[in-house]
Amino acid sequence: MKELIKNTINKLDRNDLTYADVRFTNSDQQTIYFEKGVLRHFGSDLDSMALGIRVLADGCWGFAGTTILSEDSIDKTIKRAISNAKLGSRFRIEPAEFKKLPAIQDSYVYKPIEDPFTMDDKFKIDFHEQIAKKLVGNEKIVYSYVYTEFYRQYKIYANTEGTFVDSLVYDTMPMMYVLAAGQEGTMCRTYPGHMNGRRGGFEVVRNVKLAENTDKIIEEAIQLLDAPRIEEERADIIIGGGHLALQLHESAGHATEADRIFGKEISYAGKTFIKPGMLGNFRYGSDLVNIYSDSRNEGGMGFHIVDDEGTPGATVDIVKNGILVDQQTSQETAALLGVKPSSNMLASYADDIPLIRMTNFCLAPGKGSLDDLIKSTENGYYIDYTKTWSIDDNRNNFQFTTEIGWKIENGEIKHIVKEPTYYGITPEFWAACNGVCGKEEWEFHGTFHCGKGEPGQAMHLSHGVAPARFKNIVCNVKA
Amino acid sequence: MNLREQLIEICDLYPELKLNFNYSFWETDFLRFYQSQINYNISKTSISLSTTIYKGKKSYSFSLKDPTRELLLKKIEEVLPLIEKLPEDPAFVDLEDDLTKSSEKEKANNIEKVHLDAKIDILQNVADAVLPYNFKIYGTFVCNYRTLYIINSNGLNKREISSPIYFECKAVSQENEVTVLEVYGGERFSNFNQDKFIFSLVNKVKAASGKVVDVEAGEYDVVLAPRCIGEFFMYLESSMGAGSLDSKQSFFEGKVDQQVFPENITITDDPHHPDLINFDYNSDGHIYNKTAIIENGVFKNFLVGNYYGRKLKMERNGADGEALVMTPGDKTFDELIGSIKNGLYISSLHYMNFINRKETSITGLTRDGTFLIEDGKITKVVNNLRFTEKISDIIKGISDIGSEAVTIPFSDNYGEFGIYSVHMPHVKVKGFKISSSTRTV
Repeated sequence: MKELIKNTINKLDRNDLTYADVRFTNSDQQTIYFEKGVLRHFGSDLDSMALGIRVLADGCWGFAGTTILSEDSIDKTIKRAISNAKLGSRFRIEPAEFKKLPAIQDSYVYKPIEDPFTMDDKFKIDFHEQIAKKLVGNEKIVYSYVYTEFYRQYKIYANTEGTFVDSLVYDTMPMMYVLAAGQEGTMCRTYPGHMNGRRGGFEVVRNVKLAENTDKIIEEAIQLLDAPRIEEERADIIIGGGHLALQLHESAGHATEADRIFGKEISYAGKTFIKPGMLGNFRYGSDLVNIYSDSRNEGGMGFHIVDDEGTPGATVDIVKNGILVDQQTSQETAALLGVKPSSNMLASYADDIPLIRMTNFCLAPGKGSLDDLIKSTENGYYIDYTKTWSIDDNRNNFQFTTEIGWKIENGEIKHIVKEPTYYGITPEFWAACNGVCGKEEWEFHGTFHCGKGEPGQAMHLSHGVAPARFKNIVCNVKA
Repeated sequence: MNLREQLIEICDLYPELKLNFNYSFWETDFLRFYQSQINYNISKTSISLSTTIYKGKKSYSFSLKDPTRELLLKKIEEVLPLIEKLPEDPAFVDLEDDLTKSSEKEKANNIEKVHLDAKIDILQNVADAVLPYNFKIYGTFVCNYRTLYIINSNGLNKREISSPIYFECKAVSQENEVTVLEVYGGERFSNFNQDKFIFSLVNKVKAASGKVVDVEAGEYDVVLAPRCIGEFFMYLESSMGAGSLDSKQSFFEGKVDQQVFPENITITDDPHHPDLINFDYNSDGHIYNKTAIIENGVFKNFLVGNYYGRKLKMERNGADGEALVMTPGDKTFDELIGSIKNGLYISSLHYMNFINRKETSITGLTRDGTFLIEDGKITKVVNNLRFTEKISDIIKGISDIGSEAVTIPFSDNYGEFGIYSVHMPHVKVKGFKISSSTRTV
């Protein structure tokens, strides 16, 4: 395959192209899904190959992708990518800029502890069936499922600047869910929550300890049926890592994607309240808030040697001591902002065009344990396990509901509350952060399903976070 | 012999198995634009085969890209020993066996008919029309073309061609980012009226050139644009599918033939509507015909596919909710707006998500033009607003319905960028709950 890619990039070494790249992906996915204790779906999509060609010609980007890898099809794909750029330049006012990059030749292979694609399928099925059976049987649990998605992708990236990098990675995403029903309605619990994707193989499934947590989520779902709601209009909230990862994702991650500043995503994903002039002076959060993009940490799903336009992996501060200092950028948007590209251009598959995407987008740890944080909270709630998320077109007004919360009084957990729903305005919310737990609580959470772009791409990415506390948050919104 | 014929033959090769194939040829030409210039144009092609093998009550699914007979047979042989080891799904009964065929119409490939050159000409005209108001255009102009074959061991051998067009154009003020939206969708490009499209967008631009104000949280009488009420009904579809009964998440559970909404609400699922993107079959291959969902406020039918139809012993109707049509009322747009003393006009919605699916409680935001109505007139632009509300309460609050329905395209965005459409009028809703302002437009 490497020869095919080398031949294809050679065909793109033409004087009429400012830049061109070729990507190839071979992706494997497998899903095991038990519903109400029964194997409802077991399936795989193996050796799913795709090739994409991106060119810059006459100041305009053109792209074409295909899953048909014959020589004839690849030649047609090259032709379409170039004609898309050249025709498109008719309706292009400002030419897209692309600075020459250093050529990199490298190779990266992630080795999982247990490769889910070579281990016995029957073992994986039996493992999940045991958990599925534990989720049924209680008369108040009316619906349940457990699933795991396994993913492996081999990628080759080559460009006309001389870069040639191939990589192999593994990601795994386990999940279980129960729904309890009572006279007052239904309540659910998931585990390990919606930010459940991790870099790794079957060891990820073992590490989250699904079997050890089935009784807990069943019990909590049933208790939630009769649990009170939050009554105070405002309260201090401590957000657990799983949900905080999503809070960070929505209100800082997407907000600091530079393509949004220039309106490139207005048609679907939206805009951002951030303007270029805010870099270096806008207070995004309290002094405790330090946010960075890190595509060099191999522990997260956002690791890479180079991004999908050849920029080497990088660690870039986005918010430093509460001040907005940079953005997640592409070559083109970095030039517009006058900053260095942050290595955030990525596509899900080779036949998708790269977009600015989060990689490992992290909140730096502070100090102390979660217990310490709870003990230092006089009156508030500890909330976790995302139920609902929603944020506006400019990433300014968000509202989240978690499945469960725990009332804190005088530093002690008292009782659970159902569907805590809080809302806020992004910079005011992060400015209200008055505690971030330390390294001992910091870990990667992640998802396979970050949607962006048209046609839509679902991206694997990670967020490193530790639980954090926010003061005086509106937390009893009701429908 | 082409692969379609070979798939039928392969079904016969394995009489002890039940095989189900979805064999698809798909291409897209996908133009994105911003700041009245091109962002990029994407061309994509794909050939794929999704296969499910059933042996008794055991099953295994896989997909192949660029499939061949040899590749498929190799894969089937490879997975047969594995299927033996799998646990059973006691609810599995059989594959779809509805052999009714539609006319399986040929459709022109709109990727060829609406070439990139033609799209750029249209965009240039639209950009020129809004420029005098200091607005620029942003959006997408997409043509897809797909041929899908649904073949299975029960004798299904069906073909569906789709050739949808999806043109979504936002005009954004370069002064304050106030945004308005105009869309076109369908399969017949001859229905696209460029002059009318530009006229409507420019009218919205004029309305959006006014002062931007904020409003307090509270209950408002609102006029919802067709795409908003369409979107609420599409979210409510999560309660209309038979699967939602199985997962105990349906608002309509136990409510068939009961009055659930006001008598002025009638919704049908009409995949052959002349103004909509048309479908022949549901995803199982069952014939997909016009189905009453809500009739004069009475809930009539769930959307029932093969698996849950058989599992829950419900009559399969093939309805898929891909073409919802609301029966218009008798009010002009001016009458709807004119009847409100202090309220809102909402053009579009954004990022909705259920808080509790069964209760239909939801939160979401307005987008692409929210306007203040004062003394029966649209007067000012309002910042985007958050609502937290039950969809069932919104529909119960519909007091008046517009007399003209329009086609609104939507996309599921992922995979093959499936495009479908609804046909909806404006509606007036009493007591719509605004929970906060975004303080931005």
